[in-house]
Amino acid sequence: MEGWIDFAKGPLFTVTFLIMILGLGRLVVIQLHLLIAGKGRRLRNAPWKKIATETMSWVFPVRHLIRGTVFFSLASILFHVGAIIVPVFLADHVVLWEDFLKIDLPSIGRGAADFFTLLTITCLFLLLAWRTFVGRVRSMSRAIDYVLLLLILLPFSSGFLASHPGVNPFPWEVMMLIHLLSAEVLFVLVPFTKLAHVVLFAFDRISALHWQLRPGSGDKVADALFGNEARV
Amino acid sequence: MNVLASDNIDKIGTAVRKKDPPYYIENPIESKRVERFLEAFAAVLHFSDYKALLDSYCTSNAKCNRCAVTCPVFIATGDPRDIPCYRTNLLLDVYKRYFTIGGWVKSRLTNSFELTNAVIDEMLDVFYRCTACRRCTQECPMGVDHGLLTRLGRYVLSLIGIVPKALQVSVREQLEGKTHNTSKIPKEALLDTLGFLAEEMEDNLGIKLEFPVDKPGRDFVFFCAVSDYLLEPDTLMGNAAVLYASGDWDRWTIGSGNYDGINYGLFYSDWHLENIIKQLVGEVTRLQGKRILIGECGHASRAAHDFVPVFGGREAYPVLSFMEYTLDCLERGKIRLDPNIVTERVTYHDPCNIARSGWIVQQPRRILKSFVKDFVEMEPHGDRNYCCGGGGGLVSVDEIHEYRMEIGGKVKADQIMRTGAEIVIAPCANCKKQLKELVEYYELPCRVMGLHDLILKAIVIPGGKSPEERKEEAALMEM
Repeated sequence: MEGWIDFAKGPLFTVTFLIMILGLGRLVVIQLHLLIAGKGRRLRNAPWKKIATETMSWVFPVRHLIRGTVFFSLASILFHVGAIIVPVFLADHVVLWEDFLKIDLPSIGRGAADFFTLLTITCLFLLLAWRTFVGRVRSMSRAIDYVLLLLILLPFSSGFLASHPGVNPFPWEVMMLIHLLSAEVLFVLVPFTKLAHVVLFAFDRISALHWQLRPGSGDKVADALFGNEARV
Repeated sequence: MNVLASDNIDKIGTAVRKKDPPYYIENPIESKRVERFLEAFAAVLHFSDYKALLDSYCTSNAKCNRCAVTCPVFIATGDPRDIPCYRTNLLLDVYKRYFTIGGWVKSRLTNSFELTNAVIDEMLDVFYRCTACRRCTQECPMGVDHGLLTRLGRYVLSLIGIVPKALQVSVREQLEGKTHNTSKIPKEALLDTLGFLAEEMEDNLGIKLEFPVDKPGRDFVFFCAVSDYLLEPDTLMGNAAVLYASGDWDRWTIGSGNYDGINYGLFYSDWHLENIIKQLVGEVTRLQGKRILIGECGHASRAAHDFVPVFGGREAYPVLSFMEYTLDCLERGKIRLDPNIVTERVTYHDPCNIARSGWIVQQPRRILKSFVKDFVEMEPHGDRNYCCGGGGGLVSVDEIHEYRMEIGGKVKADQIMRTGAEIVIAPCANCKKQLKELVEYYELPCRVMGLHDLILKAIVIPGGKSPEERKEEAALMEM
């Protein structure tokens, strides 16, 4: 078991983390390429200030707590707070980042880590309940939406149990292996699923750029489909 | 608002919808629709630049349903098929399946999504249930622009002949007809109307004037929704009164070659949008005008403001909304509005195209608050206001009148009712038509008018009758 844990902590971590970074990098490059090459000078027409304001309003989305979604929105906001703080600033993880990325981050105390972990787990259950029990949300949901929530639940719950032997009914090694492997599965999935919004978030509020349509494209589409036939 | 109306619905498709298209289609294509749709979509993807947003939305679309509670159509029906995200996914599913590697691989490994005639029928229905108000986009955590996606879906559908006949016929006349406008008003009728308006202004305001037509080298070339010439004389006289009172009468002109600001291309087609803009710019060039002045119309203002810079080339003239012009005149002291004329309670409807998707929110409020004693806001208002229910071109489709009343405009009717206002100001030709129909349908105790209709009552005309005098005369006429 120790060997498996070392493997998961070492080469597997490196590979899966790189897949995530390269995959996310690819998404960013594709977006930038499509926008810059596609829009070119038209980007100057875009309302950049409005885009920046809107993007920032979603970094701290308190003004988006609207009627009918307050429960979901609060659960989602708190989940994101925990999902950012714990993986990045937990003392054990900070050591990992230092070894792997050579960056020195501040760490949070054990009590704060426990609080944010439990907060994240609670919010995940609430989000799962929202998707399962609210008809209009259930009607839109697909298997992957549930699978992702459960997959995110795994590293948080296994990490919590691994660090609290008093409440952990399983061997520490088993929990730690589940913790590492589930996190690594997530690393791989991030660039290929909606979890990619960890970076695509920066491109979320740019629909004003997408409205900068390409001059002449309508003619080319009509030429390709209809030749000289009537178009209206 | 019963935002949880659909919570007992387990799956899409429980509500019964008519099988026939809800609107008239000029030449419906029956054969090879799937192949043609994919061919059209491929052409659009190849020649336009929609791939960036489709790729982004396919990856990050969360399907969280926050959009549902903001959509006036879903609030009215509770039908999951009216959830903006559901509608968007119809198009995203086609893109993912047929235009991405992942979709191709998935189709080989599983029984994944396939485009069928039934899916096209559903698109044909749901894309024209949306009013393209973009309220949902504001509350989408992932920023998915459902309005833009709906428009793209409509664009592809239009390329296989699926578009409401009412829009298609209007646009054909505008681009290829003799009159070059959507209401088919010939130049002679325009000149007659302007003559009639001049007579009315002489009678009502006590000023003698002649509307400027085809005057070269003027600062402003004026375009309104052409239907205003037939249906909204008070709005036009209000516009004219501001231009006269401000001393700018010699600075503007109407072009007889093109006098229609309407641009239905904004709602369904890049080709039409661009060519209508070019036609408008061409008229300004012909008249050697310096700026484009757009009358009271939401989508006409947005189309010109946003797309003259895109499609106007080197001749991308500055675009000014008439409300901006009037506010400027008011704040510079060029016009005066009598604060003792309008005593009724007044509310203001924000047209989506100039408030949420535009830049006009505070300007009309500053004008109104300068002379209206009892102004009350709708809730919500400004860029979060609800659509009138006739947006996205729906107001021009007469055969869906019942839908616009019972579903599209239901939330708006409730919203107006709650204000207790006697006058609803709607500075948009489309919104005004829809709201007037709503007021009649729901028997709301209020009147709908344009901003300049109200200004016409209160504006002080140098050398003309005073607002009090005009008010007394109007009261006598009503008796």
